Amino acid sequence: MTIHPRFEPITGRYLTLQIGGRANRIYIEEAGQGQPVICFHTAGADNRQWRHILNDGELTANYRFIAPDLPWHGKSLPPDGFEEEEYLLTTETYVETVLKLVEALGLDTPIYAGCSMGGRIALQLALNHPAPFKGFIAIEASDFQPAWYDIDWFHRPDAHGGEMGAALVSANIAPQSPAPDRWSTQWMFMQSGPGVFRGDLNFYTRDDSLVGQLGGIDTSQTPVHIMVGDYDMTCTPEDAERTAATIPGATLAVMKGIGHFPMSENPATFRPHFIEALAKMG
Amino acid sequence: MKDQYTPNLAAQFTRMGQALAEKPHLARLGALFSETVLIEVDGQEYYLTFHRGALERVTEGPSRQTPWRFALRVDAEALKKFWAPIPEPRFHDIFGFVKTGRGRLDGDILALVKNLRFFKEFMALGRITVTA
Repeated sequence: MTIHPRFEPITGRYLTLQIGGRANRIYIEEAGQGQPVICFHTAGADNRQWRHILNDGELTANYRFIAPDLPWHGKSLPPDGFEEEEYLLTTETYVETVLKLVEALGLDTPIYAGCSMGGRIALQLALNHPAPFKGFIAIEASDFQPAWYDIDWFHRPDAHGGEMGAALVSANIAPQSPAPDRWSTQWMFMQSGPGVFRGDLNFYTRDDSLVGQLGGIDTSQTPVHIMVGDYDMTCTPEDAERTAATIPGATLAVMKGIGHFPMSENPATFRPHFIEALAKMG
Repeated sequence: MKDQYTPNLAAQFTRMGQALAEKPHLARLGALFSETVLIEVDGQEYYLTFHRGALERVTEGPSRQTPWRFALRVDAEALKKFWAPIPEPRFHDIFGFVKTGRGRLDGDILALVKNLRFFKEFMALGRITVTA
């Protein structure tokens, strides 16, 4: 097959934000026009997980998708002084990052979409900071997941944390997802900075503050739609169902034949489910 | 209890070793992997000895004298599901055995994790060499 060179419609820019009192240079990709949708990647990866949605001409005709790399991830640098600190992401830092991005970009009632730890933060925002948002798409999301692995495996001087992390998260990828998409999904983990996956998992596997609290979400004001792949072993369908059952008015979609990274591991299977999710945001 | 599937496992692991030899990328990934792995299926022990990413020999137990670096213990039905062409959810990865309580990993888990892609891809070779 002959490939004709062409630019994708995605554009990338850098924005420096004050987060936790420090300057953070953040890389942001976007495409489309209309209703803004701010999209967050999983632990240990970056905004390339969203590239298929940002390249979807039918969707970008009506939606403006904005996909940042969190600080320390992808093309966003860690803040000055990182070389002597231990990266440990917290719920508070993640929430502050999202809220400051929405404000700095001047987004008018964006839809929030996030996967895995980004899905957990969707629930935090829906509970504690719903006002700036139109609704929440919480992908592979639950109230809490304890670790079924030792997070310290992924940051050691005697082994490559990225390669080990990729080999571990492959457990969460459906075997029928296309090989190029499975491997490009794992590549992001292989590339992630030393200790970043471990630092992301710090809050994801330890902060259980949402347990028992999600009944306080008002889905009549901001809808919450939870999506989960049946091959996800980290956030299982049972975990997502348990979580959705505690949120009055929340909706749930179990996606067959897909795992923990649906946007990038199998874009064609994910697409109709994501269109359904966008429609539920009103 | 053994079913009709388990008596062929030593031959199955040997065939997987032959398939491994035809995968140059696994020879590269396993270049530093020279260990004996215990795979225990319904209580039957199989000691798989690897040398620099090649499967040198498969020895059936029981044995109290064979040192091993890490062990994968699983029931035969779960392993059979793992080797299905398209395994069902939870049976598609060796960690699924642990997550579902159908198996366990013991020993030097860090040695496994350091060689995780190699070992997982070796185990998945059973999907193309399994006998009906």
